[in-house]
Amino acid sequence: MSEIKTPDVKSRRFRMTDYALIAMMILPFVVCILLKVLFTPAHEGVHIAGALIYLEIPAPVQPLIISESQVNSWGVIISILGLCLYLTHGLTAKAVCKRQLAAEWIVEKCQKLVDENMGDYFSTWAAFVAAILGLSALSSLSCLVGLFAPTGDVNVTAGWAILVFVLIMHYKFRGGFWNYFSGLFKPIPFFAPINLIGEFSTPVSMAFRHYGNVLSGAVVSSLMAAALGGLSRTLLGWLPGILGDIPFLRIGIPAVLSIYFDVFSGCMQAFIFAMLTMMNVAGAVPWEEWNARKEKKRLRRSAAAG
Amino acid sequence: MQNLSVISINIWDVLISLCNLMLLTWVVKKFLFKRVQKVIADRRAAIDADYAQAKEAREQAEEDRLNYAAAMAAVKQTSDQIIAEASRTAEHRGNEIVAEARDKANDIRRQAEADALLERKKAEDDMRREIADVSAQLTGKLLEREINEEDHRALIDSFLQEIDS
Repeated sequence: MSEIKTPDVKSRRFRMTDYALIAMMILPFVVCILLKVLFTPAHEGVHIAGALIYLEIPAPVQPLIISESQVNSWGVIISILGLCLYLTHGLTAKAVCKRQLAAEWIVEKCQKLVDENMGDYFSTWAAFVAAILGLSALSSLSCLVGLFAPTGDVNVTAGWAILVFVLIMHYKFRGGFWNYFSGLFKPIPFFAPINLIGEFSTPVSMAFRHYGNVLSGAVVSSLMAAALGGLSRTLLGWLPGILGDIPFLRIGIPAVLSIYFDVFSGCMQAFIFAMLTMMNVAGAVPWEEWNARKEKKRLRRSAAAG
Repeated sequence: MQNLSVISINIWDVLISLCNLMLLTWVVKKFLFKRVQKVIADRRAAIDADYAQAKEAREQAEEDRLNYAAAMAAVKQTSDQIIAEASRTAEHRGNEIVAEARDKANDIRRQAEADALLERKKAEDDMRREIADVSAQLTGKLLEREINEEDHRALIDSFLQEIDS
């Protein structure tokens, strides 16, 4: 029997580490909220704008902007890192902690999703897909605590989509450059421009779909909140003193919309982005040409050797 | 502080978010997937080891059982053999004893018969001697006196009485 080491779950050290990791999950959001509160300019009425600009550094081509969406993304990343460390803290083959079940559930579900949609060849991409799901969903959900959702910034989703595009291209070139290039002129050379547009439309559509859904949700939410505030002032403005200033209609009703636009739509878009990534990357590999190329290379090598 | 406009492309931001995703992929891979997969592999290895061990133990037990059964069969055979041997020996010995006893008895009987015969002969001799003695005495008495019928009878009676006594 191989000896399985079990951590001392009850020890002070173990619990202290746990608390530190939980703080690591929560604190980034608190810091982001504080930053936002400190930097948000006072404004009146309906205010629809992009991310706050925290820092502007001169750089070639365009100034390097450290915006709210970047900072919130980093917050989400640190939080996910904390979550990963927390879930895997005290991990043993014997599963002493309940959180290990959650960790194994996440890993196995992502692995299964990737294996089913991409095939066994891409099974090491499970972590990438899990990262997309986690980053996208948590970014979208971060608007629940009043932050600007990073996914509502086109720069963020464009960055992800470009990474996916690079991967797609990487796998498309597996069949050789000429194979890819000639593929653009099929079925007739006349289609070449359309095919080229089709290649680039994938990342653009992925980026804009995600960004558009999240931002539109935020826009509708803020419009709705403003409208309800106005309605409340009109209907209940006659109430004496400070009571008249309280927008009673804004209590509760926007939350219902938030459940759809922020929670449901946010998770949905994360899933859609991940699915599209898997489909496009897995579908990009020209298996036949690639195998033929590998075979040719092998033959050439053996001919050179022999 | 200013806001970005709702739609504005900044290549540095795009690049940063691209790197963010790669960074998070690395984080998730290193701190979640690798660890959990290692633990799952460890567990599978432990389970496999346990199964192998159990199989080995079962095989060992089966082998032991067979060995034991074989040993038991051998022991039974030996004990049967010993018992058969012993009973054969005992029977042999018994027969010997019986034959010996019979011989001894025969000897004793023969001895007794011989003794009896000798005794009879001795008795006959004695009787004969007695009769001779008696007839001698009788003759003496006859010679001593005249004998009439009555005397004769009385004589014979007394003689017989003498014999009887």
